[in-house]
Amino acid sequence: MRSERAWYLRVFALVCALALVLAACGGDDDDDGDATGGGDDDGTEEPTDGAGEGGELIDLGTFVGDPPEFLDPALNSTLDAYQVINALYDGLTEIDSTDPANPKIVPLVAETVEPNEDATVWTFTIKEGQTFSDGEPILPSSFQRAWERASDPDFAGDYSYLFNFIQGGAEKLAGEAETISGVEVDDEAMTLTVTLAAPYSNFDAVAGFQLFFPMPSAVDDLADQNEWDDGLMIGNGPYMLEAPRTDEEIILVRNDRWAGDIFGNTRPKLDRIVFRTSADPETAYNAFEAGEGDTANIPPGRVNEADENYATTLDVQVSGSYHFEIKWTDPVVGGPENKLLRQAISQAIDRDEINEAVYEGTRTTSTGITPPGIPGFQEGLCDYCAYDPEAAQAAFEEWQAAGNSLSEPIRVLFNAGAGHEDVVQIMIDNLAAVGIEAQADPRSTETYFSELADGACVICRSGWYADYPTYDNFMYDLFHSDAIGGNNHGEYSNPEFDELVNQAKQETDIEAQAELFRQAEDILLNEDIAVIPINWYLGDYVYNPEKIANFPQTTLGLILWEQVELVA
Amino acid sequence: MTSYIIRRVLLIIPTVFGALSFLFFIFFALPGDPAELIAGGADRNPSPEAVAQVNDRYGLDEPLIEQFADYWKRTLSWDLGESYEGRRSVNEILGETAPRSIRLGIWAIIIEIVVGISVGLVSAIRRYSISDKLTTIATAAASAIPVFVLGYFLQYWFAVLPGPNKWDLPQWAQLKTQGRGDDSWLLFFIPTGDTWRHLVLPAITLASVSTALAARMMRGSMLEVLGADYMRTARAKGLTERQVIGRHGVRNAMLPVVTLIGIDFGTTIGASILTETVFSWRGLGYTIAEAIDARDLPVMLGLTLVVVLAYTVINLIVDISYAWFDPRVRLGGSETR
Repeated sequence: MRSERAWYLRVFALVCALALVLAACGGDDDDDGDATGGGDDDGTEEPTDGAGEGGELIDLGTFVGDPPEFLDPALNSTLDAYQVINALYDGLTEIDSTDPANPKIVPLVAETVEPNEDATVWTFTIKEGQTFSDGEPILPSSFQRAWERASDPDFAGDYSYLFNFIQGGAEKLAGEAETISGVEVDDEAMTLTVTLAAPYSNFDAVAGFQLFFPMPSAVDDLADQNEWDDGLMIGNGPYMLEAPRTDEEIILVRNDRWAGDIFGNTRPKLDRIVFRTSADPETAYNAFEAGEGDTANIPPGRVNEADENYATTLDVQVSGSYHFEIKWTDPVVGGPENKLLRQAISQAIDRDEINEAVYEGTRTTSTGITPPGIPGFQEGLCDYCAYDPEAAQAAFEEWQAAGNSLSEPIRVLFNAGAGHEDVVQIMIDNLAAVGIEAQADPRSTETYFSELADGACVICRSGWYADYPTYDNFMYDLFHSDAIGGNNHGEYSNPEFDELVNQAKQETDIEAQAELFRQAEDILLNEDIAVIPINWYLGDYVYNPEKIANFPQTTLGLILWEQVELVA
Repeated sequence: MTSYIIRRVLLIIPTVFGALSFLFFIFFALPGDPAELIAGGADRNPSPEAVAQVNDRYGLDEPLIEQFADYWKRTLSWDLGESYEGRRSVNEILGETAPRSIRLGIWAIIIEIVVGISVGLVSAIRRYSISDKLTTIATAAASAIPVFVLGYFLQYWFAVLPGPNKWDLPQWAQLKTQGRGDDSWLLFFIPTGDTWRHLVLPAITLASVSTALAARMMRGSMLEVLGADYMRTARAKGLTERQVIGRHGVRNAMLPVVTLIGIDFGTTIGASILTETVFSWRGLGYTIAEAIDARDLPVMLGLTLVVVLAYTVINLIVDISYAWFDPRVRLGGSETR
């Protein structure tokens, strides 16, 4: 007779045996990709600039949600991809934010930057002897090539409107011209001369933006410029791609031909950086805690936890504004006739409560739109941003007494699933307390900004990280009438405001310029109350202080990867 | 039997056609204009030129029926198109992601079979004992806890706590939360090297609900069988309890459970979106979810086509094997008298 031992016991025993075998086999201590200690293992110190050179870093904090759409600086419009692009390329100028309140524009690839008297012609001299990572020399024509490429109407990306600043740029983008007429290069004299379409004194800041990064001649050989992104892009930054990027990882290695930064560093510290894409901030943070990565993004609601257990960049005041735009053309909330209603709304909101409840007290409550870190910033510009429910109620009653009324609740739009639900809920509760009825109107994140651009805003959640540290990046790009149909979702339009902003952009005296911008913002915030500022952003990275010794985040939110250093 | 098989095979065609056509039209019913989304992404407003370019390249502005006909013509020649994002061929994406889902699915099924059946069996044999009560509670909890919650818990207890930042247990006790490690496999599905540490948690998470169900079903089915006449006969004939249960009980009790497991195999491959997302296991579920978000129609449809095909084919095999094992079904008879 066959053995009748229960078959299930046999199977169970087999599984146990298998488990033991696997445990024995899989016991190699090689954790691929863990950050190793900095410094040379053999004890000899290489004659380099930085101490603590070497090592690898795994970043889980940059791409939490989606892999980047574009790594091509001509096409990219997101901050997360910009983190990588900034490591791959260096531009004409760089922002020195060692004093966060006073960022300075400093030449980087350019040797000198000289505007003429009325800031209509800018002359950049390019430093001699710089090369791309493949050895090709960087010349003024490298920039011209990149700019012609990025302004090609068949290829141009979201930021191509910046070429409108340059004479002939608008024509090129519209397909009416073959080249940008305002750009002249002299590769012998190493000069790049840019004539602007209108005087603009902050062009040096804009010229350092990713759209204006140089490109090697390899792009001329491409049949389709979209392929550049898919392959091994060649740049002139501190790092270069080890391999074409995948949806899971982007791997950078040190570029030995890097020319150095504005602080005199000529060698990036890390050997290798691996950017991993995670599905969402929570899973990324779990992986970080489990030791599978060295940096992460701080998930909502876990700020204090992250701050207590690890090191963060929460002390960096990132130049970004979190605010709610108001539809200027809305019959109920918009226009000069409804100013009292908007005043009531703005004063009814308890911004500190929002900061405490939603952000664990870590953000800075706004006193205006333009954040600290922008030259010209002044605290306390907004007259109606302090919590004052009595004044709010009085204003609301006065508005009603003038014959106005709310026939239906005011809709507050926001993109769902991105952490804004709680903010909007507090706002609605605050408004109800003074008698204003409002309701939440969540929209899909994918289509949110398209819907706003199509005019869907009533009161709509908005946010803006500075592209470059200039006042006009906020005033012009967000509230000028030129930006209607673009980033001016509230369709705000005030000729006096426009005029002040136009004047300020041309003003070459820094103090006078700042004063003009502040006057414009005063109109925006106090005369028209066209927007409701809520708070200003902070740095959002968390990193393991036992592995990483230095992890600087600038006020633009960019990580200076070349300075990141591991613990010895 | 053959006519049965032929009928079932033919049924696959309308099933697949219906499922994919439904998806196709749903795609265009989603909010947002696909061309705009593909051209500009969610953050900014793309220029009309960019949108026109996208419409041109993918024919998104042609009448819906035309696009639909076009799509089926290409699909029947297995040209699944290329992804809107990155222009990679969908076949390539499929080749990369399908094996990952299959491997995860195989292990989830193994866990389901081993754990589910043995637990169900034990709790049926020892009805009303402590182990039975514990099992009932455990299976109820396992099927009630949402998959992603379970996933987070497991990550925390088995990866974060044992990890270098907390308890710092030896390497083999630290499981992983993300990715696939070396991605080295023996015989396609046996993990070697570092890979097993990345596999354990997602496999358990994925298996949790179906294991609980399999256990409950096994228990119920076994209880029914234990009370059957032929069991009494077997005991009367003098067989030991072990022989009675082992030879007669289990085999009969397993029939419905086998069907369940067969269906589950199809489901785990396709419906693993939540698990794959929590563990960043880039299989079919993860990629389909990403494609929906990005409005990447070819990827979404191409991968779902494979999932639907896999599901229907596996169901077919299960049904056929069921018919083969159980003569009553095969002979197409009515109730045995």
